[in-house]
Amino acid sequence: MTPATDLHQMASLGRLIAGIVHEINTPIASVFSNTEVILHSLEKLTPLLDGSPDVQSMEKARRIVSTVENLVAVDRLACERIRAVIRALKLFSRADSQQPEKVDLNQHLRDTLKLAGIEFGKRVSVETDFADLPEVECYPQVLNQVFLNVLVNAAQAISGPGKITVRTRLEGELVHISISDTGAGMTPEQKARIFQPGFTTKPPGEGTGLGLALCREIIEKRHGGEIGFESQPGQGATFHIRIPVQQQTRSSAP
Amino acid sequence: MKQNNHSPSVMIVDDEEMVITSIKAFLQLETDFDVHGFTDPEDAVRFAEGTPLDAAISDYLMPKLNGIQVLGKIKELQPEASRLLLTGHADKQSAIQAINQVALFQYLEKPWDNAQLLLAVRSGVERARLFRDLREKVGELDSAHSSLKTVQKRLIEAFL
Repeated sequence: MTPATDLHQMASLGRLIAGIVHEINTPIASVFSNTEVILHSLEKLTPLLDGSPDVQSMEKARRIVSTVENLVAVDRLACERIRAVIRALKLFSRADSQQPEKVDLNQHLRDTLKLAGIEFGKRVSVETDFADLPEVECYPQVLNQVFLNVLVNAAQAISGPGKITVRTRLEGELVHISISDTGAGMTPEQKARIFQPGFTTKPPGEGTGLGLALCREIIEKRHGGEIGFESQPGQGATFHIRIPVQQQTRSSAP
Repeated sequence: MKQNNHSPSVMIVDDEEMVITSIKAFLQLETDFDVHGFTDPEDAVRFAEGTPLDAAISDYLMPKLNGIQVLGKIKELQPEASRLLLTGHADKQSAIQAINQVALFQYLEKPWDNAQLLLAVRSGVERARLFRDLREKVGELDSAHSSLKTVQKRLIEAFL
């Protein structure tokens, strides 16, 4: 399976993309408008400064300069926002590596949160509690997909406002990542089935029912880790992911 | 309240500060309008309770109140102010809902075109002012009519 199909099955790509488009659209709209306004402002500025300008022209010129300064500051902010989205997207666009890489897992979590937060950021607040971690040897592309999937699930479990808490801890040779939500929680029936392929609680088109089954495969088979959860109806859910800091030199299939 | 003697007053509601900054700078460069920007829709509604407006431009997706709710409240407070929706979340449903529920004057999409935005805001302001003029004239006609009636009544009483 290619990473693209993984992502599609894992995180209701359509909605995520709609969110990303919206996130990029606003700063672009601003930059577009500002460029025209800046150009027009400069056109107005030139004649004001021709010859020996009087006090009134200088006052006008000063106002135009301060408007332009304001708009340039907005442009910089807008570009930074677009760059942050692109940076997060890059995590998912690189081809899956066959060899594990050593990465800063906290940074990967931050970038994935950035991407997931685009969709639910206005509704759900996010709290992070990251421990100092050594570099973790892993397959970052697929691991990020797991994080994204669990985060999107968490956000979808919350109707209305709520909170998602992401923690990282070092536990000996393992890194422990936990993702908690203040959402609806799970019934015993749901708990028994959530890792089964094809099981979904979401309306058609929103979930494929493959997300958590794939997550488990990625964590357990690919990384030699484990994924589990605790949940009570009405009390939210916490997913626990543990992966080794060092991948065992295994005779892994290519 | 002779709002038409003042320079036009335009409101922008968008939870993105940068959109407000951009549009405000643009309108202030091109027009003599008073431009009031709000990132919080509830603040915008409170402002509309006390200050006459000629046009209100609102984003659609915002926390607390969406654009249609904001424009609906402004419609109740100031029916003659023209209502414009400026949205990056362009779907047919929200457009139809806006047109039907708040008698939308213009539906604009992000990224917007400055020239088109200016045209829309200018015609919105003009429309609002025509409405106010009309109401004032109708009021004047009404009072002229009733004073004529009084005179007529007195005439009849005097001669009969």
